[in-house]
Amino acid sequence: MTDLALLTRSPTETRGVGRALAAVVRPGDVLVVAGDLGAGKTTFVQGLAEGLGVPDGIVSPTFTLAREYEGRVRLVHVDLYRLDRAQELLDLGLEDLADDAVLAVEWGDVAVAYLAPEHLEVRLAAGPDADALEHRTLALAPRGRSWVARQDALAAAVGAA
Amino acid sequence: MLVLAIDTATPQVAVALGDDGRVRGEIRLVGRRRHAEQLAPAIAYLGEQTRVRLEQLAAVAVGIGPGLFTGLRVGVTTAKVMAQTLRIPVVAVPSPDLVAYPLRHAGRLIAVVLDARRREVFHARYRPVPGGVQRVSDYAVGPAADLVAELEAGADEVLLAGDGVEPNRPQFASLDRAEEAGPEFEVPSATALVELATGRVEREEFTSPWSVQPMYLRASDAELAWGQRR
Repeated sequence: MTDLALLTRSPTETRGVGRALAAVVRPGDVLVVAGDLGAGKTTFVQGLAEGLGVPDGIVSPTFTLAREYEGRVRLVHVDLYRLDRAQELLDLGLEDLADDAVLAVEWGDVAVAYLAPEHLEVRLAAGPDADALEHRTLALAPRGRSWVARQDALAAAVGAA
Repeated sequence: MLVLAIDTATPQVAVALGDDGRVRGEIRLVGRRRHAEQLAPAIAYLGEQTRVRLEQLAAVAVGIGPGLFTGLRVGVTTAKVMAQTLRIPVVAVPSPDLVAYPLRHAGRLIAVVLDARRREVFHARYRPVPGGVQRVSDYAVGPAADLVAELEAGADEVLLAGDGVEPNRPQFASLDRAEEAGPEFEVPSATALVELATGRVEREEFTSPWSVQPMYLRASDAELAWGQRR
């Protein structure tokens, strides 16, 4: 399994990666969106939502925990930042909410044991150039058969080498 | 003796009302996963059509999973609230038992396989015994491949039942002594719950409404892995 690494130079470009990824995702997919505060997780998911044809803009679900959007494929956007225990995550009933939708989970890496073992991890980080404040490194890591099988399509969609 | 039986561990909402172990009515709503919207109206309709008032119930029986988290909470909570308000006992029965029991005449090992999502299944194995089935494994959750390996090692003829069979059909195909029980046996039977629960009420095998808990199998009290990150 090869991770794909991308550099974006602005929030607009980060959003563009999310939009491009929409061409590869299918109902039932889980995206684990990782990265520190301000790394651009919500920006990335906003792009994904655009790509999925969600008509209105999306907002961070930090306080509402989960939001659903109707698009070409339904999108369920979740943020785990306020959760402490696995029970709280299970209480969201994601298995029922999202088995025919694309599930994008911000901070999903803290609960990866409770999410589908097959998922795409999208990790955002500042840098590598510390002076370029808007630059981000995105690492896309396919986990499980269904994502490994789509690796080439994924690379082509996001324009990675 | 009137018993109301509820199972919501799968995408199905199942309710049955029995009198001395014989079913007077049963409602099954399959596949929409609208447990919260459908369960209470189904109970009300069943009561109206069988001319039974809730106050006449001797006990309420509930399938406690393992199964879908949201569905289970609706069913178990409804059963607890009814038991507390009506001051009647609860009989808690694991939901796979309610798939196995209708197959008690199958004459071979029964493997109940329920879809656990996240590409895993809940499973348990049973042998037919006079008057019912006896569980011969723990209730477990894991990839279907694990169950297949266990069944291969056992070399028994086996009947596969439950809604976890179809999505994992390619894996079960490697078993040469296995047969599928078919769509009638995909989900827990509320009728089976009436029969099983009636016997348990007679033997006074109840659970206090306060202590009835869904059986989740997946650890849920664990802390999320924040480390120093927040």
